[in-house]
Amino acid sequence: MATDLANSTSDQLEISCQSCGAKLVVEAHLRSTLCPYCASPSIVSRPPSPNRPSPTFLVGFVVDHEHATKAVKNWVAGSHIFARSDFKAAVPELTRGVYLPAYLYGAVANTRYSASIGENYTVTETYTTTDSKGKTVTRTRTVTKTEWRPLAGNHCCYVLDVLVSASQGVTNAALEAVEPFDLRALRRYADSFISGWLAEEPSRTQDDCFRLAHDETIAKVGAMLKNFMPGDSHSNLEYQTDLSHEVIDLVLLPIWTYAVRYAEDRPPIQILVNGQTGRVAGKVPVSAAKVTFAVVGVLLLIGILFLLFMAAQG
Amino acid sequence: MNETPIAEINCIRCESPLESGDLRCAICGQAALNDQAVARKKLAIQILRCTGCGAAITYDPKHQAPSCSFCGDVVKVESIDDPMEQTEHYLPFTVTADEARAALRGWLDSRGWFRPSDLSASAQLTQLKPLWWVAWVFDAEAFVSWAADSNEGSGRSDWAPHSGQNNIQFDDILVSASRGLSLNEAAAISRGMNLATKRQTPEGADRDATLERFDVQRSQARQEVSAAIHRIAAQRAQQHFIPGTRFRKVKVAIVLRRLVTRRMSLPAYVLAYRYKDRLYRVVICGQDIRLMVGTSPKSLIKMIAVGLVVAAIALVFLLILAAGS
Repeated sequence: MATDLANSTSDQLEISCQSCGAKLVVEAHLRSTLCPYCASPSIVSRPPSPNRPSPTFLVGFVVDHEHATKAVKNWVAGSHIFARSDFKAAVPELTRGVYLPAYLYGAVANTRYSASIGENYTVTETYTTTDSKGKTVTRTRTVTKTEWRPLAGNHCCYVLDVLVSASQGVTNAALEAVEPFDLRALRRYADSFISGWLAEEPSRTQDDCFRLAHDETIAKVGAMLKNFMPGDSHSNLEYQTDLSHEVIDLVLLPIWTYAVRYAEDRPPIQILVNGQTGRVAGKVPVSAAKVTFAVVGVLLLIGILFLLFMAAQG
Repeated sequence: MNETPIAEINCIRCESPLESGDLRCAICGQAALNDQAVARKKLAIQILRCTGCGAAITYDPKHQAPSCSFCGDVVKVESIDDPMEQTEHYLPFTVTADEARAALRGWLDSRGWFRPSDLSASAQLTQLKPLWWVAWVFDAEAFVSWAADSNEGSGRSDWAPHSGQNNIQFDDILVSASRGLSLNEAAAISRGMNLATKRQTPEGADRDATLERFDVQRSQARQEVSAAIHRIAAQRAQQHFIPGTRFRKVKVAIVLRRLVTRRMSLPAYVLAYRYKDRLYRVVICGQDIRLMVGTSPKSLIKMIAVGLVVAAIALVFLLILAAGS
């Protein structure tokens, strides 16, 4: 059932609810909405454009609201000892469960690298020392040394499954914090999967996302190269990567977003929950008082130990 | 809903076959073409309605599918396909049970000087079981980047680093998926398999033959095949490309193309024989009687005798040395 009855402005779209006829305003960055009067879910399908392609894939929600809230409460209560006490006691407020747009990127990475490779070898050294009777004696010992050899070469591999956030509201670092997603459960996108849920349209340009994906891919190649180097150690690893045969697909990822208000004078903390695995991540506010107290405590302990040591030395 | 079985088509990027249910290529990540995708030209608003009661449907995490909250009807969606691996072809037995039995006697006679003298006469065959064991057979083109240490060009250290890139063609490479045979047993009898004789059904053995099943899902099978490709590529690099005669820390990175994997059931006889209250096992290739692998007893008396003779010779040698000095 589809109609084209819609008025759009540059930022918002005014539609009529097809169940009750109410006028609804859909923000430009959303591709679905719920009617506040009859709770009917509407899906907005816009013509694709370079910066707003149609989704290719989707990972469906597995974790429901109840489990996500429980996971967030546990995560907040179990945050590290330097977290603010009012944060630990705060009650998380559900903002929404949303399908977050992200790009799934892959490429062939051709890398030219150079490095110094350390090859260990052992030598027997003769040295003189003083024995227990105070006599000078000559002894031998085995010493491991490293011979450094230059190595240059090429490394070529597929880099797959790089996910970058296409939403302005969720940074790429925040998305990485709740990764990984099990991409074996990837589904081909269909409108029915987002029915009743909020789904965002990409709000970052594809160029920006490509740039983020390139950076993440090159970082992955760097990590691979560290494992690829032969020898007992390596140093001065330098590399230049060309990416070719790139594939990029828009994928919608299930995310529960929570806001935690812990102080009147502070902005709320955004906490994300992976809607597939239940993994929780967010930035925990650190208590300056706790940190100061800990530093002072450690200094005091060092001071006491020093005084005891001095007293023992007479 | 989209019901798009994708089978018998190749990835447009790396030309590896896509299997039924693959939404993207497992090798290079290229999305499979979606014939039913329609580029929308105009803005459209829609509500998806239950075909049973007409109420709006919403996606339900519990069912992991869209469902109607009024009548509970769940919309059938394209399933996530990670099926158990299934045998596609069988190789027939060309070695008979009698030939296998005779081969065991010959094999026991050829166990070397340390075998008990009465091994062949006293060993009692307790079981001879035809078995179709499971394996993947793959072909692929691989562009392999390698880096390794070898003794070639070494200086003060025993090792020097080397690197390179080569194309490697894999043809009919067999990777065991068997739980019944050990890796050593599978490797020892694999060379005798004639893949050109493949059949749609098991042939050449009694009805009581054991048919082993794959016990992994497709995604895990792909991981195991990928690990085997990396292992074999490293071996080939050592044999053909890396200079030197001794190697260590051989690393490979691979860009695969045209990976075709077949699931096969391969014939073997598993024999058990008893010698002096202990059971020993031998596996014989079902297509080549010369290929067999197994365990056999050693004669303790012969081993002690050899040890004593060696010790006596060493003692005499030391006495001569002592007398000379």
